[in-house]
Amino acid sequence: MAPFVVLDDVHVSYPSPGPGLEAPRILRGVSLSVAEGECLALLGPTGAGKSTLCLCLNGLIPHLVDGTFRGGVHIAGHSTREWTPGELSQTVGLVFQDAESQFVSMTVEDEVAFGLESLGLPPDEIEGRLAEALEVMEVGGLRSRSPLELSGGQKQRVALAAVMAMRPRVLVLDEPTTNLDPVGKAALLRAVSRLRVAWGTTIVWVTQDVDWVPHLADRVAVLWEGQIALEGGLREVFDQGALLRRMGLRVPQVRELAARFGSTGLGGYAWLGVDEAAEALRGRLGG
Amino acid sequence: MAECAIELEKCSYTYDGQVRALRNVSCTIEAGSWVALVGQNGSGKSTLAKLCNGLLRPQEGRVRINGADIRDRPVGSVAREVGYLFQNPDHQIFAPTVREEIAFGLRNLGFPGEEREQRLRSTLEAFDLTAYADRPPAVLGFGLRRQVTVASLFACGSPILILDEATQGLDWQRSQGLLDRLQERQDVGHTILFITHDMRLVAERANRVMVLHQGELLAEGPVRKILSRPHLLARASVSPPPVTHLSQLLRPWGMKGDSLTVEDFYLEYVALLAEREGV
Amino acid sequence: MGPGFDLYTAGTSWLHRLDPRTKMTFVGASFVLLLLTGQIILVLAYLVVVHAVLRRAGIPWRRIGWLWARMWPLTLLILILWPLSNPGGEPVLVQWWWIRITLPGIGQGLLAGLRVNGLAFAVYVLLLTTDQSGLVQGLVGIGLPFEWGLALAIGLRYLPLLLGMYGTITDAQRARGWTPEEEGLVRRARAYGPTLVALVIGALRLTDGLTLALAARGFRPGQPRTTRRPLQLRWADRVCLAGIGVLTLALVAAEWIYL
Repeated sequence: MAPFVVLDDVHVSYPSPGPGLEAPRILRGVSLSVAEGECLALLGPTGAGKSTLCLCLNGLIPHLVDGTFRGGVHIAGHSTREWTPGELSQTVGLVFQDAESQFVSMTVEDEVAFGLESLGLPPDEIEGRLAEALEVMEVGGLRSRSPLELSGGQKQRVALAAVMAMRPRVLVLDEPTTNLDPVGKAALLRAVSRLRVAWGTTIVWVTQDVDWVPHLADRVAVLWEGQIALEGGLREVFDQGALLRRMGLRVPQVRELAARFGSTGLGGYAWLGVDEAAEALRGRLGG
Repeated sequence: MAECAIELEKCSYTYDGQVRALRNVSCTIEAGSWVALVGQNGSGKSTLAKLCNGLLRPQEGRVRINGADIRDRPVGSVAREVGYLFQNPDHQIFAPTVREEIAFGLRNLGFPGEEREQRLRSTLEAFDLTAYADRPPAVLGFGLRRQVTVASLFACGSPILILDEATQGLDWQRSQGLLDRLQERQDVGHTILFITHDMRLVAERANRVMVLHQGELLAEGPVRKILSRPHLLARASVSPPPVTHLSQLLRPWGMKGDSLTVEDFYLEYVALLAEREGV
Repeated sequence: MGPGFDLYTAGTSWLHRLDPRTKMTFVGASFVLLLLTGQIILVLAYLVVVHAVLRRAGIPWRRIGWLWARMWPLTLLILILWPLSNPGGEPVLVQWWWIRITLPGIGQGLLAGLRVNGLAFAVYVLLLTTDQSGLVQGLVGIGLPFEWGLALAIGLRYLPLLLGMYGTITDAQRARGWTPEEEGLVRRARAYGPTLVALVIGALRLTDGLTLALAARGFRPGQPRTTRRPLQLRWADRVCLAGIGVLTLALVAAEWIYL
């Protein structure tokens, strides 16, 4: 499939944090492409530049954030440099790690409508998109609640609804599950799966939760020291356990187990999920 | 029977007279143990932790630290015995330099000049922060900010450490570094109460687990025993690590269902296989 | 943490449904009246009417009582200080050393105390029955730029968040051995400096994040926007506006003739 999101040798440095301190070079030549409708999981250690990459993807860098930007980001063939603010928010939606501190409204419905009102849509259309987004994210019952009173998982789903109501073609998720408990995580990932079905959205998903990656991602890329160090299919990337560990990352635990079996010649497994592993191991025990 | 570091006796806590966060919780944490506190968001984990250093006072029940009721002691004085790491590093960073940040607690706890300097130096070194000593902590990256807060906590040397989601947002390597430091503390007899959602971490590091659900203590016990009870965990909306889950799926085929780590699982499975194949 | 400074009490009463601009006109007219009049009886009557209106709109007594409880300290202060600082007129009730309390002084204090509550309740009528988006639209409707309305709304939204953050920061410092209980007033005050620093840093981080989040959702200052529920002056609004106009004029005229 033709690449839909293309980063071409992207460099970003932020202004120096103080006199005498050097300007941090965050991205040092990132090249990456994502096909239409694909979900790419982006892994990387703390401070590798993942959040900066997210801001590049939706054009906030270079449009709003201070710093120097080199290279090019193209979405559906259009460079982010040429975007108007409206195009920016309608092409790429961004969900941040901490939904709570980014809410501006006192009710869930006003929160979701905010972006649509900013786009200048007529009230009828706002109402329609609002209802649809709330339904897909399964937060319709929370319409008139204050976003502050919701659980962490519900907050993230409301934030997702607010972004998806703008019908972006690409969705960027910047560690959306970090503050969530397992129940919240599972519910959020289910919601993301549903929106892929409903809208066919292309997804870039930044995460530390490797055990959850196989649930959603088609491909994995690893950002390390401002560059893409590894990129490919899940099995291919997680095959590099030793390299990933050197970069400060781990692989899904069942993949670690598969490697352990491989290390003593007891089998060449490459499991990603528990069920897959269970089936293979059960077979050997004569089940 | 080992000494008791933290003891909660029938503690209840209600926020603003309305939201019941803890209900009649009793538990004891032995000195020198590493206890993981798990449960859904809002199950009362942070509330329980805050009772243990006096930040919150139970409306009913008692809290004893090293055998003594802390009811009448200000939080600042309990800090000598109990160190507490907050979930968000930005809530505890405020000094103009990393050095000052770490010195804050030392000064409060009244360490004399000489010892303070010495502790400060060795802490900066131990946490690889010497190069940043005169930088403002607030402009450092998240990983380093977390590092600074942990260093501030360790510098004071309190024998009981409470950490609220300390590894959240950290990559695997940084998490392991932090956990290794904690392990060193446990090795010299310090007590650790660790709040987390990361069950892989619980399985690999903790001795005991406390499971909270809707303000009640659902279960407490050795890690292996608690993590091998899927129904109990499900009730508290906690899921065991993948290998534990896997070993439970293989129970009908002879696995015990309580593997905690990859190595654990591997050894048990291989032994089982050898038995079956008669090798 | 509760909804904090959001006084809005959800409902669908006639008062809730009134156009925010109508309610803002009511607040304006109330201010004119309350500040103009010197009649205790008139202020009392105003308060009675406002309470009746709030009750008709389904605002529970508990909520109203809560508001009175918030106003009580200020009211008490006025009731005590006003007669002390305005010792003019006759008859003198107390004369001891430099303290002199007169009946007109007490009357004036009573008037001022009631007036403050009247002013507050005028604003409460608006805030209790208008949700945030209505409030912002109302402000835009009476000619304020949207950004001002949004700033106000975000301010209200963030106050509880900042208060919570302040609480956590002080907790974090106490957990590191800071004992304000054992320190003198001056040292304690000085120690609050760092707390404020942490709070400001936290607020800056919040603002940074918010700027990005707003931009990511298509918001740009000065750009035209639509609204989900456009304001509409309905029949009931026109009646209310006419009523407010006539009453205000009549009372101002009466006040003027009476003087």
